[in-house]
Amino acid sequence: MKKYVFYPGCVIPTEQYAYELSIREIFPLLDIKLIDLKNFSCCGEPMKSVNQMLTISLSTRNIAIAEAENLDIFAPCPMCHLAMSECKRVLDSDEKMKERINSFLADENLKYEGKSQIVSIIDVLYDAVGLQKISELVKKPLKDVKVAVHYGCHLIRPSEIGRPDNSENPQKIEEILKVLGAKPAYYPEKLDCCGGLLTSNLPESALTKTGQKLQAVQQQGFDAFVDVCPWCHRQYDSKQIKAGETVAAKLEVPVFYLTQLIGLALGVNKEKLGLEFNLSPVDKLKIG
Amino acid sequence: MRRIGVFVCHCGINIAQNVDVEALTKYASHLNGVVVSKNYKYMCSDVGANLIKDAIKEHKLDGIVVASCSPRMHEHTFREVVTVGGINPYRLEIVNIREHCSWAHNDREKATEKAKSLIRSGVAKAKLLEPLQSSTIKVNPDALVIGAGIAGIQASLDLANEGFKVYLIEKEPSIGGRMSQLDKTFPTLDCSSCILTPKMMEVANHPNITLHTYSEVASIEGSIGNYTIKVKKKPRYVDLLKCTGCGDCFTACRLKGRIPNEFDMGMSKRGAAYIPFPQAVPLKALIDDKNCLFLTRGKCGDKPACAEACQQKVINFDQKEETIDLKVGAIIVTTGYDLLNTESLYEYGYALSPDVITTLELERLISSSGPTKGEILRPSNQQKPKSVTFILCVGSRDETQCTWCCRIGCMSALKHIYLLREKLGDIEINICYTDIRSYGKGYEEFYRKIREHKANMFRGRPSEVRNMGEYQKIDIFDTTTNKLFEIKTDLIVLVPELVPRSNAAHFARLMHLTQSGDGFFLEAHPKLRPMDTFVNGIFIAGCCQGPKDIQDTVSQASGAASRAACILSKKELQIDPLIAYVDEEICAGCGLCVEVCPYEARVLNEKTKIAEVNAALCMGCGACVVTCPSNASIHKNFTKKQLMNMIDDIM
Repeated sequence: MKKYVFYPGCVIPTEQYAYELSIREIFPLLDIKLIDLKNFSCCGEPMKSVNQMLTISLSTRNIAIAEAENLDIFAPCPMCHLAMSECKRVLDSDEKMKERINSFLADENLKYEGKSQIVSIIDVLYDAVGLQKISELVKKPLKDVKVAVHYGCHLIRPSEIGRPDNSENPQKIEEILKVLGAKPAYYPEKLDCCGGLLTSNLPESALTKTGQKLQAVQQQGFDAFVDVCPWCHRQYDSKQIKAGETVAAKLEVPVFYLTQLIGLALGVNKEKLGLEFNLSPVDKLKIG
Repeated sequence: MRRIGVFVCHCGINIAQNVDVEALTKYASHLNGVVVSKNYKYMCSDVGANLIKDAIKEHKLDGIVVASCSPRMHEHTFREVVTVGGINPYRLEIVNIREHCSWAHNDREKATEKAKSLIRSGVAKAKLLEPLQSSTIKVNPDALVIGAGIAGIQASLDLANEGFKVYLIEKEPSIGGRMSQLDKTFPTLDCSSCILTPKMMEVANHPNITLHTYSEVASIEGSIGNYTIKVKKKPRYVDLLKCTGCGDCFTACRLKGRIPNEFDMGMSKRGAAYIPFPQAVPLKALIDDKNCLFLTRGKCGDKPACAEACQQKVINFDQKEETIDLKVGAIIVTTGYDLLNTESLYEYGYALSPDVITTLELERLISSSGPTKGEILRPSNQQKPKSVTFILCVGSRDETQCTWCCRIGCMSALKHIYLLREKLGDIEINICYTDIRSYGKGYEEFYRKIREHKANMFRGRPSEVRNMGEYQKIDIFDTTTNKLFEIKTDLIVLVPELVPRSNAAHFARLMHLTQSGDGFFLEAHPKLRPMDTFVNGIFIAGCCQGPKDIQDTVSQASGAASRAACILSKKELQIDPLIAYVDEEICAGCGLCVEVCPYEARVLNEKTKIAEVNAALCMGCGACVVTCPSNASIHKNFTKKQLMNMIDDIM
C-alpha cells in the first residue's frame, strides 16, 4: 500500500467538499493510504504576484512538514501542486535560496531537504496506480458516456518546470476515462480557461469564459464534463447557472470531479462520493 | 645562443586599450635571448611585416615571437613574413595576447601582467624551436559531391566544367532535392522545375560527372588530396541501363495507389514500383523493398506483376546492395535540410486536422504535377478553400524550439499570396507573422508589390488552432492593434523552421565534421571561410550549413566548388610538418597510439614492431603523444623539453 501525506489546501476543505470526499472514498480501493497531518499553512500561490519570497517560504514549510514523515506529499488542488512544484524546483537548483528559506523554518524545527516528491491527482491515478489496476477494479463501466475533459491551467502549465501532463496535448485523464468505459472526445475548446482567476477583478469576464466553454460543450452533445481542480469546478459546477445567465444560455451540463466518476465506475455509492454537493445537474447522467 | 626578436601588435585598439603595449615591448627587450623588441599598430599590415623583415636583417635574428591575435588568425601570415625575411617559418612563435588577454579581461594592469608571462613563455619556446621542412603529397584531382539538390548540382557542374571529374551521390532515387518539389521561386516567380530541370539533365549527361543515385556514404578514410569513400548503393531491383522509364511496371504494381509518395509529402499515393516524379533524373523505375509484396513476403500473386508487365525485362529481384570505393582529392557536402516536425507543435493543429498543412505540402498542391494537378483543394473535402491562413515562424525564433530564423518563410508566404490570388481569385488570405523579413535583392520590392494583393496581416503568434470540423479557428493576439482576434479559416498553411537533417549528427561523426549549436554543419569561419570545414579538403554548401534561399545556396555551392578546385588544381600539396613522429629507439610497439589516433594516421609496422606515423594523414592533434607510455611519440615543435621550458618560465 502506497502512502502519501494529504495536503488539502484551502478551497477543498472549506467549500469543495465533494473532491475530498470522493478522494477519500476511492483511494483505499486503489490501495492508497492518505496520512493527515496538522500545522499545514497556505500553499502560497495566491501571494505569488505580490511576494514571491513569502510564496516559497510557505510552500517549503508545507513540504518540510511532509518530509519529516519521510513521505511524498499529495496535493489534489493543481494550484497547490504548482506552488510546491515551482518551489521545489527553485530550492533544488539554488543552494543559497535553500539555506535562506531553511533559516526561516529553523524556528519551527523544520528543514527542507528535497527528498519528498510533490504528487498531483494525475500522478497518483495514472502513474502510481496505473490504468491496469483501475481497469481491474471497474464494476459499473461508464458505458458510452461522452465526456468533455477539462485539465485547467495549473495542472499542465508552465511546461518548462515539468507538469504532470503535456501542456498542449494532455491525454492522461482521457486515458483513465477510457479505462472506465467512457468515451472522452476532442472538443476545440478543451484547453480554454475556466475564468476562475478573473473572479475578483473582472467577475463578468470570468463568468463569460465559464459560460462560453460550457455552452460549447453542451452544443456538442457531451453527457458529462469532468475536471480535477477545485477552482475550475467552482466555476463550472457551483456557478453554472450564473455563467449561463451571463452568456444568455440555459446550461445543463453535469460536471463531475474525475474522482467522482471513478467512484461511480468502481461501484461506490453515490452519497459517499459527495454528489449532493455538486450544483450542476449531475442526476442527468444515468449510470449502470 | 638564439637571437630573438619580439614584435607586439596593438591590433588597432583591440589589444592596446586593455594591455599596455609599450610596457610589454620594454619588458620583452630585457628578456634573456631577446635582442630586439618593437611594437606597431597593425603588425599584420605591410608596414608591420617590413618591420619584422628589416629587424631580422639588422639584428641577425634567428627566432621570432609575435604577440598578437590567435594563431588561427595570422600564424600563416607571419610564417610567410619570416620566410621572406630569411628564417625558417617554424622558428616563429605566436603569443595570443588578444583573445587571451585584452578581450578576456577588463583590468588593464592584470591583463598586461598576464601578457608579460605569456611573452616570457613564448620566448622560452622560441629559443628551442626547431626549423622544420614541409613535405608534399600527390593530389587526386577528382571530387566527390554528397547530396544532389540544387547545391550539389551547382557545385558538380562548376567543377565538371572546370575539367575535374566529379562523383555525385544522392540518397534518393532521383536528383533535384527540395527545389524540385517547389512550384515557383521568389522573388522572380520563375517556375522552379523550368530552371532546375535543365541543370538536372546537364548533370546526367555531363561527361565529367558520374552520378550515383539511391546511394549513401558508408565510410571515409584518408585526408586532403587523397580520400577514399565507401558508398553503399541500394538495390533498385531494376537494370538502370536498360530501363526506359515507360511506366508499365508501376501501372501493373498490385500496390499501385497505396503507398504515400514522399515526393508529394504523402499527399498522393504511389505503388511499390515507381518513379518519384515525372522529371526525375535518372528517369528510371525502382522497387521499394520496404513495401513490395514480392520482396517483403516472397509472393506477389502468381508472379510479380511488374516483372510480368515489363517488356524490356529489366526487373531483377536478385539485385543486392553494392559497395563501391571512390577515390577523390576533395569533398563537397550538400546534404540539405529537413522541415521541423509540425506534429510536435500541437497548438498549431497539424496533428488535429488534414486542413492544416505545411508550406511544402502547399507547394505540391500548387504544382501542376502535384497530387491535385495544380488545383488548390482542402485535403478534408477536396473543395476550394474560401479562406487560407498562413502561420509563419512555426518553431522559428522560439526559445523552446529553434532559436534561429528560417530565412525563407516570409518570402515563400508572400509568393504564395500571389499564386493563391492567381489560382483562387478573390478569397480571404490571412498572414500571421512575427516580422516580415524581406532582406534580399529585389525582396523588399516584391513585398511592396504583394501588398497590393490585399492580405490581412496579423502580427503575432497564434496561441491556439482549433479544429471546428467545418473550418479551423485561430486565436491570435495582434501586437500592432493590441487586440485578440479570432480567425475562421478553411485551410491553414504552417511555415515551419528549417532544421538539420535527422541523420546530421551521424553524418557529422562519419565525416569528422563539426556541428554548430543548432545542429547544422559548422563552417571554419563565419565570415572568411564560410564554405570550409575544420577538416581540410571537405567543404559545405547550401542548407546543411544553415537555412538559406536558392540564391544564396547556389552562390555558396559555386563558392565551395571554387574552394575545392584550389586543391584539385594542384598536382602536389604541401603538408604541415607540425605532426607527430616516433623515436624508434624508445618505441616498444605497444600499439596504444594506433588505437587512439582519430585520423587513422598511426600504424604498427608488423616487421619492425614499431609504430609509424603516416605524415599525410596526421593532423597533429597530439592524442598519440599523451597516450604513449614511454614518450616515444613526439610532436614536432611541441616536445616535452620545449613545453616544460615554457611552463618553467611562465611560473
